[in-house]
Amino acid sequence: MSTPILEVKAITMRFGGLTAVDNFNLSINKSDLVGVIGPNGAGKTTIFNMITGIYEPTEGDIHLNGKSISGERPAFITQQGIARTFQNIRLFKDLSVLDNIRLAGHFRADYGLFASIFRTKKYHSEEKRIKEESIEFLKIFGLQDKQELLAKNLPYGEQRRLEIARALATKPDVLLLDEPAAGMNPNETKELTELIRWVRDKFQIAILLIEHDMRLVMDVCEEIYVVDHGELIAQGQPKEIQNDPKVIEAYLGTEQA
Amino acid sequence: MLELLLHLTILSGINIILAVSLNLINGICGQFSLGHAGFWAVGAYSAAAFTVYAQLPVPPEVNLIIGCFIGFIAASVAGLIIGVPCLRLRGDYLAIATLGFGEIIRIIIMNTDSIGGPRGFSGIPKISNIFWVYLFVAITIIIIANIMRGTHGRAIISIREDEIAADSMGIYTFKYKTMAFVIGAGFAGTAGSLYAHYTQFLHPNGFTFMMSVIILLMVILGGLGSITGSIVGAIILTLLPEVLRLMGETISEWRMVIYSVLLITLMLLRPGGIFGKHEFNPLKYFKKKGEVA
Repeated sequence: MSTPILEVKAITMRFGGLTAVDNFNLSINKSDLVGVIGPNGAGKTTIFNMITGIYEPTEGDIHLNGKSISGERPAFITQQGIARTFQNIRLFKDLSVLDNIRLAGHFRADYGLFASIFRTKKYHSEEKRIKEESIEFLKIFGLQDKQELLAKNLPYGEQRRLEIARALATKPDVLLLDEPAAGMNPNETKELTELIRWVRDKFQIAILLIEHDMRLVMDVCEEIYVVDHGELIAQGQPKEIQNDPKVIEAYLGTEQA
Repeated sequence: MLELLLHLTILSGINIILAVSLNLINGICGQFSLGHAGFWAVGAYSAAAFTVYAQLPVPPEVNLIIGCFIGFIAASVAGLIIGVPCLRLRGDYLAIATLGFGEIIRIIIMNTDSIGGPRGFSGIPKISNIFWVYLFVAITIIIIANIMRGTHGRAIISIREDEIAADSMGIYTFKYKTMAFVIGAGFAGTAGSLYAHYTQFLHPNGFTFMMSVIILLMVILGGLGSITGSIVGAIILTLLPEVLRLMGETISEWRMVIYSVLLITLMLLRPGGIFGKHEFNPLKYFKKKGEVA
């Protein structure tokens, strides 16, 4: 087995007296499709926020490509190769679809402030490159006809798609999806399932997703981590998880004695 | 009459620089700053002190250009000193902190005897005129518009749209907030230098919190985030009080009321300001179709 791309080692997060995540471990290899599930308040989003640098873990370490990234700033972690989407879509609503994607290429733009003030040759060539790359991304996601539209005017399903496209445009090694099916109807969820699988095959990247929608997770993930009260209670393939008594207990409660 | 018209045109130009530079901070970057008059004062006083005390044996035009440059540097250094601690705050807290700093600057000037203190700073040579003011207006607008359309400008706009999302796109939000703040403060300093060398007299009471509010009003009136909006807003708010003053005695007495009612009406009818976030680019009509990015 090769070394994992993303390795989460015994991270713990305490907010005052509350332990939101306790001693959580996770490892993802190149082009894995992994899901994290658990009831409300189990600590799933906290895990995400620690991986993406919004919170610094109280204890434990996170390694990306063998390098420790815990405690780094979110922007730095994105530049190192972790991209994410948000539970409640966070697009740049008043910017065009194209600009949303162009911003993902921002940290790779190789020209300074003075180049943009004086419109140097470098500015023009870099802007051209960023624009072409962004349009390429929009084409892949079937949004090229809507590049001039404001992001807020897209239908909900396409906003999700744009958010995923934007995250991928940062060229990550690992893509984190925070409840991508939230607020979607069964049809849209089905499309999303296909999209996620297709993204993994097309870009050959690892995907980690948090989800409430059981069908989506069972359908799409190859490995599932189940958390409850901040602790890992089960881990394995979808079939094993479905029949795990601990998981059933966490979701449905215990039988009354 | 002609003299008044010239005076108002020059004041409009200075206000345009102030409004456009504040727009970079408040409208384009979305950081609510209420200390713009402070940066204006820093620029005005440092440039004035330079011309009065240095007495360089150069033509007055060169003196003015150096003065504007010094005003820019001094105000952007002040912006950096104030921005670094304050920009970690958000929304209302940032507004209060910048308001406080703006007042601190004024109090410091008030208590510095070498630049006049409470007596005001007089004896500044009159070297700025309509040509220089509008030259710097053009420079300010071109620089800020060019920044806005590059990748740095997009990063600055993305912070206004959603700071957390910008962060997750690999954009160092703090760096770009500081950049917008420092550049905005710097241009306010340039406006200060032009102002000092036009009025020939500076008094700390001309740079109070109310002045920051008026600049902010120009930006909001024109539309937060729109450069053309700020230009129009600055012109309207410079001319409106004067026009009302000239319209006979009764209207003149009521001018502050009329002024307020006009503002309230406009904000009710167009809450996003005259231009909203849109731009009016006259150059667009001269270029071939498809050439404008």
